[in-house]
Amino acid sequence: MKVGYLCTFTPKELIHSAGFLPYRVFATDRPINLASAYIQSYSCSQARGSLECALQDDFHAFVFTRCCDTLMRLTDIFEFAGKRVCNIEFPTKIGNVEYYVQELRDFIEVLREWGGEVNFERLMESLKLYRKLEEKLKQLFALSPDYETAIKVQQIEVRDAIKLVDEKIRTAKKEKEKPKVLITGSVCPYPKVYEIFREAGFSVKDDLCTGSRFFEYSYPDFEPVDLDSALKFIAEKYMNKSPCPTKHYEKDKRFEYVLKLAEDCDAVVFLLVKFCDPHFFDYPQLRARLEGMGKKVALIELEFPVVSFEQIRTRVEALREVI
Amino acid sequence: MITVGIDIGSITAKCVVLEDTRILGYKISRVKPNLEVTAKEILAETLSFVGLKREDVGRIVATGYGRNMVDFADKKITEISCHAAGACFLISNAGTVIDIGGQDSKVIAVENGKVLDFVMNDKCAAGTGRFIEVMAAALNLRIEDVGSLAVKATKKLKISSTCTVFAETEVVSYISSGEKVENIVAGVCDAIAGRIIAMANRVGIRREVVLTGGVAKNLGVKRAIEERLGFPVIVPEEPQIAGALGAAVLGQKA
Ligand SMILES: Nc1ncnc2c1ncn2[C@@H]1O[C@H](COP(=O)(O)OP(=O)(O)O)[C@@H](O)[C@H]1O
Repeated sequence: MKVGYLCTFTPKELIHSAGFLPYRVFATDRPINLASAYIQSYSCSQARGSLECALQDDFHAFVFTRCCDTLMRLTDIFEFAGKRVCNIEFPTKIGNVEYYVQELRDFIEVLREWGGEVNFERLMESLKLYRKLEEKLKQLFALSPDYETAIKVQQIEVRDAIKLVDEKIRTAKKEKEKPKVLITGSVCPYPKVYEIFREAGFSVKDDLCTGSRFFEYSYPDFEPVDLDSALKFIAEKYMNKSPCPTKHYEKDKRFEYVLKLAEDCDAVVFLLVKFCDPHFFDYPQLRARLEGMGKKVALIELEFPVVSFEQIRTRVEALREVI
Repeated sequence: MITVGIDIGSITAKCVVLEDTRILGYKISRVKPNLEVTAKEILAETLSFVGLKREDVGRIVATGYGRNMVDFADKKITEISCHAAGACFLISNAGTVIDIGGQDSKVIAVENGKVLDFVMNDKCAAGTGRFIEVMAAALNLRIEDVGSLAVKATKKLKISSTCTVFAETEVVSYISSGEKVENIVAGVCDAIAGRIIAMANRVGIRREVVLTGGVAKNLGVKRAIEERLGFPVIVPEEPQIAGALGAAVLGQKA
């Protein structure tokens, strides 16, 4: 049974250990029809597209973790539309592990109400499997970011996902020495968009929610001994994942992370979904810092479903020409 | 060397033949549904106009939104780089290039012919030639006459809707309330100028400002932009060919 989620902070290991399939909901190629009855057109198209998908497809339930304002309110809309929903309060200010462990304890109760079964052994198994998948994806992206695979593995059983990524690593070729572009932004579940960058003669580096924010973690260095310490492990793991603009970190963690990634790149593209506030709030300052480093910067705004690939192509090719 | 630049735009195709730094000739035609045929025809037409054959041409560069459909071109370069190169070829001290075409508009910050930064609007008809065409049709005017009429205005009527569809309704209601046509078109030109300046502010405006694309031929739009900027802008003798010319210029270097 599919349990849908949108945000990469979702504890998918818990959902999986309860016997459900954690399924990342993205906007699809389908036009937005049913969702228009519930949500305004000035909400981001990832939110609208996900709602459309939720209304059309078969899901057992949905899990939200407090991230951006739009997704928070989407929780209510899903409930209003008659869906089974759980909202986990992931702290916006990163740090309070104890608080989040309590949230996860409550979430286990919800999973049980949904007919799931959670115990220590099963959770440890899921933790191991997802870590394996994450490490393999990291390996694959280090060779060459493969978005088609990254998107696919977020919607299938983790054991099959590991097999798929294994196969991809075997055939992947290291990206050639070409001008390198860092693509930073929120989600973009349309692999064709990334191909445009390659066709224009770029090699690609990733800082996206569809890419590395799904699989980049620094794992706590203790071995869980019981269910409660496993929850602590999950809490720390997710607080130490690649930083996202919807969270508040000590110091300037998010900016420093992006600036570091950009160091060996020739250009940076902000690939942003229209109306994505958390990213757009950061954009002017981050852009100025990147330009200060001598990087060429471009902003490409997306609206889902993406139809105007040629307009994206002109911007990407023009960026390639100015380097 | 002789190079040819072909610019396949959304409404018109442009072709320029360049020998080193001398323009031998150019042609402008309407785009047909088949872009490849459009490109072939305008190439043949322009070459026969300047009395050259295909073999005389050293290199062909295609640009414009239809560039990737021109299979016979030796190279394809985006209209961003080409408009910058074309404008700087004509006006060597250009600092900002504003291109307003049929369905898109762009502002390019340049220095010595090199692109520093750019913004582009190709999603919405507001701020493009299409906007003027729709309003001209509502007013029963020829597109060529809009500019000369606008500069005769005694006041500028405000068009407050950004959206072309709603703006047309505003224009129609001005007509029915008996407003003078020149005052309405002055408002239309000013609305375009407002959109363009807002966009230009995102890259920063540096002199000299060069206006290219078909809409640069509209005197009303030129004046409105100058009023908003507070200084004169430069319109080359044939602004519509800047992209194709830039393609031919870049062909000399490639
Ligand atoms: N003689 C003219 N006077 C005023 N405007 C003109 C004239 N010729 C063309 N235009 C304007 O130029 C636009 C076409 O510009 P152009 O740069 O050729 O577009 P594209 O490159 O997108 O095909 C038309 O929409 C029209 O508004």
